[in-house]
Amino acid sequence: MKTGRLVYLFMPAAILMAFLYAPPAAGLGEASRIVYFHVPLAWGSVLAFAVSGILSIRYLFGSNGSEAMLDMKAHHSAGIGLTFTVLAIISGSIWAKMSWGSYWNWDPRETSIVILLLIYISYFALYGVMSDNGNRGRISSVYLILVMVVVPFFIFVVPRVYPSLHPDPIINAEKKMNMDMKMRMTLLVSAVSFTLLYVYFMGMRNRLMGIEKKIDEKIENRREI
Amino acid sequence: MISDVLRQLKKDFLVEFRSRAAVNTALAFAGIITLSISLAAGGTPFSTLVQAVFLWIILFFSAMNGLLHIFTREEEEQTSLFLSLNVPAEAVYLAKLVFNIAFFLVIEMVTCPLFIFFLQVTVKDIILFVMTVLSGGLALASAVTMLAAMTARAGGKGSLFTVISFPVVLPVIWVSIGATVESLQGSSGDAWNSVVFLLAFSGAVTAISFLLFRYVWYDE
Repeated sequence: MKTGRLVYLFMPAAILMAFLYAPPAAGLGEASRIVYFHVPLAWGSVLAFAVSGILSIRYLFGSNGSEAMLDMKAHHSAGIGLTFTVLAIISGSIWAKMSWGSYWNWDPRETSIVILLLIYISYFALYGVMSDNGNRGRISSVYLILVMVVVPFFIFVVPRVYPSLHPDPIINAEKKMNMDMKMRMTLLVSAVSFTLLYVYFMGMRNRLMGIEKKIDEKIENRREI
Repeated sequence: MISDVLRQLKKDFLVEFRSRAAVNTALAFAGIITLSISLAAGGTPFSTLVQAVFLWIILFFSAMNGLLHIFTREEEEQTSLFLSLNVPAEAVYLAKLVFNIAFFLVIEMVTCPLFIFFLQVTVKDIILFVMTVLSGGLALASAVTMLAAMTARAGGKGSLFTVISFPVVLPVIWVSIGATVESLQGSSGDAWNSVVFLLAFSGAVTAISFLLFRYVWYDE
């Protein structure tokens, strides 16, 4: 619950800083404030997918993966990541309309995030098909690990090989942040807020899973009596 | 393990050679689609981008059923249990991977000449074109072999295979289309980056699939 308190502290701070503290970007005006939500959402989605991949590795290679229900936790993380991806696409499209004149331009970075979205929709399709399959945990975990290897190819490699409409990434070839100090601080606070929000959601989903499991066990015990 | 792989490979080629069902269907599909596009266009030349898009869409969808067939056949004929008891999972994976690469190569060898002949395509950089087609095919076959195993073990059919494969291979198709356009228009230094990307993708996916295949192949 400590994470919950931090979310309630950091998220309002991030919103206030985005609208009141950070100056508007030169050339982009007030519309640039969407960056404080778009970039952290995209970061949150990549983080969630990385966590789902790591949990899947622990599920397959760890000694007590099945007892800890790590496959289910990986599933929850992918679900939260999918939500973040959808929100990153929506916020990105609004920003694209304001900056480039159209909601969608098939820019390499836009294409990458759509492919990421499709990959995780496919994961949920695969997971759904195996509702009665005893190997669901293993097969879905293998899929998450496989895509964790594939995703860097188009999230990090393709946008650097092909010309993009997007500005230079924050971590770029020169290893310099081309941003005003106030903007940098706001972006950092927002990224921390969304990371905490992800941790909070993840904790809630896992607690809910634990409660459901206990209820199922009680029902089973009563049936046996 | 090499002898296991070779034995499996021999068996897969023999079984496929007896019926030739998968390869015949894939080649017929590729031929029909190429002819249909040419007929519909009525001799009107397409831009190089449209030509490249057609080539990779034809290759991808022609090969999809055949690439899945190699694993669904084991499930349908109930030989997967026998295989899992007698042959190491890694040997099964390598044999199926080599078969799928060879299968894709056959599809490419038939489809590309048809495509060049019927769609009035002029290839300006032949070496780049051949390398793009080969490396793109290698990347596609490497990625979908593992996904075909997962689909077969999940009890899914062709539609599930397409759904889970398409997003994973979309970057490969995307990069391959870009490099094919360059090869049709004339050589470009950047296009060789795409060939490197495709080879790197194949290597990474094959390595991770090799390590993880046993978790898909054996029952929990």
